[in-house]
Amino acid sequence: MSDNDTQGTGSPGSKKKDHGVLYIGMDLGTSRTSVSASNGVRETVYSVVGYPKDVVSKKLLKKDVLFGKEAIERRLSLKVFKPLEKGVLKYGGDGGMSDDEKQNLKAAQDLIGEAIRLARPRKDELVYCVIGAPAEASMKNKEAIIEAARAHVDSVMLCSEPFSVAYGLDWLEDVLVIDIGAGTTDLCRMHGTMPEDADQVMYEIAGDSVDTELARLIRETCPGAQFSDVMVKDIKERHSFLGETGERVVVELPVNGKPTPFDLTDQIRKACSVLIDPIVEGISKLVATFDPEFQNRLKNRVLLAGGGSLIKGLDTAIEKAMRERLGGGKVLRIEEPIYGGSNGALKIAHDMPEEFWEKLK
Amino acid sequence: MGGFRDSLKQAVRQIAFRTDLNSLKKQGIEQVSVLGMDRIVGLIEEAVHRSLKSRLVGLEREAVADATKAEFLRLLRTNQDLQREKSEVERLKERAEEEVDQMRRQLGVEKQALEQRLQHDSLSSRARYEGEDARLVERIRELMVGSGAGPGEALQEGVLELVLQTVAKERRAAEEARGALRDREVDNLQRRIEKLTHSLETTEHRLRQVAAMKNIDDGISSIYREVQGLEDGSEQFGKKKELMSAIFAANLRLQKKTGSANGN
Repeated sequence: MSDNDTQGTGSPGSKKKDHGVLYIGMDLGTSRTSVSASNGVRETVYSVVGYPKDVVSKKLLKKDVLFGKEAIERRLSLKVFKPLEKGVLKYGGDGGMSDDEKQNLKAAQDLIGEAIRLARPRKDELVYCVIGAPAEASMKNKEAIIEAARAHVDSVMLCSEPFSVAYGLDWLEDVLVIDIGAGTTDLCRMHGTMPEDADQVMYEIAGDSVDTELARLIRETCPGAQFSDVMVKDIKERHSFLGETGERVVVELPVNGKPTPFDLTDQIRKACSVLIDPIVEGISKLVATFDPEFQNRLKNRVLLAGGGSLIKGLDTAIEKAMRERLGGGKVLRIEEPIYGGSNGALKIAHDMPEEFWEKLK
Repeated sequence: MGGFRDSLKQAVRQIAFRTDLNSLKKQGIEQVSVLGMDRIVGLIEEAVHRSLKSRLVGLEREAVADATKAEFLRLLRTNQDLQREKSEVERLKERAEEEVDQMRRQLGVEKQALEQRLQHDSLSSRARYEGEDARLVERIRELMVGSGAGPGEALQEGVLELVLQTVAKERRAAEEARGALRDREVDNLQRRIEKLTHSLETTEHRLRQVAAMKNIDDGISSIYREVQGLEDGSEQFGKKKELMSAIFAANLRLQKKTGSANGN
């Protein structure tokens, strides 16, 4: 366990917990991990964990483990892990784990601990946490998440990520949630009960795919331009759009050490468009297999969530593609894409009866 | 009343967090509504008064309002005390860091002095003895030649050997006496270094403790004092209840499995 772990709530029951109850909702994502808590705290951290490479860097950084932006900024002195890939932990969980898997598992556990610490729980409060886990996470994956969280909270539950988004907005019936993360795009159909396998579709084309495509296009069209994955991600987060844009996107990239302006408008538009086909294919699949009486209602209640939904014009682009393939549809972007999952998980935690929490302690 | 409003403003400022427009944009927030501090304070006061008005009457209302104000001011003072303690801990940490630096420097100086002393002593005594021996041999030869006794080569060498042996013996005795003195000095220096090293370790340990203390976060209180759960009158109560049961059942299966796998 890292030093940071000691800053969490500590072992449950180590102090009399009579001050109150803190509910935490967590969205454990490939790119970002967000928490919303019943003390008003809302925080997000990049799902990146770094450990000092050697004694010198440890002395310099004065920390055993770094997270998020700080880990990205100091990555040259760190052994960096992104413990989630394609929406799930990079951990098979079967016997004979490789060193890399072991290190990724530890990084995931430290990341969950950090996310809970960011919620700033008091030691004298009961801490109940709901974690939005990827729908496709394996049983071993879920067990690892539960184990990691248990070290910091009194009771913990997992729920499907797209479900928590819909629950948070009280849209429980005839709604289709599209959660665009970094690793996966999850589509989930809600019809008043817990979604089953047939209600969920997952594509591995998501935010990271946009980065990969954008990097390929820049390499192809901007001769001599030097860039890293982090720079491409930054360009995407600042300028991503679909459809028409009022002004050109001009970005400076170094060429032989000299900052040189490049017009990346078309490249960004093209890279973002990789999301459209799988999303519309998923919508078509879930609509076509739904009760025909409610298909039209479902088409008109499509919710866009997750970091990927921040792409400007994405909702309009999906509606346009739906008009062509499904004869129409209405897409709504949720108000806070980054916190949609964690807010929903927080609401689930709040609504969960006391005896359920007690039984899982 | 003015004091209370100021305290309320101060409290709102303390619990507010600062952010910049870029961070908000990154979080998907494109527009914000701005609410002035006076308006926020006014709204809080209004809400408290309305709530009290609707539930209490006359003296009881006044008593509750007074008690609430007193409790608010007490909490504010506690917060100020905590801030002061935090500053004190930070000051202690800085002082401890300075102490550690000073000790490290002193330790380095002492070690260097000891090494130089030992090296210098050994070199200078060897050089001095070699010079003395040469001068002594020269002097005896001069005396024997000057006396005109005309002694043979063998006798001259014999006398020289005897004199040098006697001198060497005397030197050993003097060296031992000097050595004992030097050993005492070295012992003293070594004891000082040991003491300094120990103090350095203690201070560094204290510094780590202070650093850890600085990171201890008392946390922020939840708005709930008790476990909540679905309210009977909440929207879609039946449906939500079913969903909660389904989530719980899935987690119970999962966690029982995890528990049994860990031998719990």
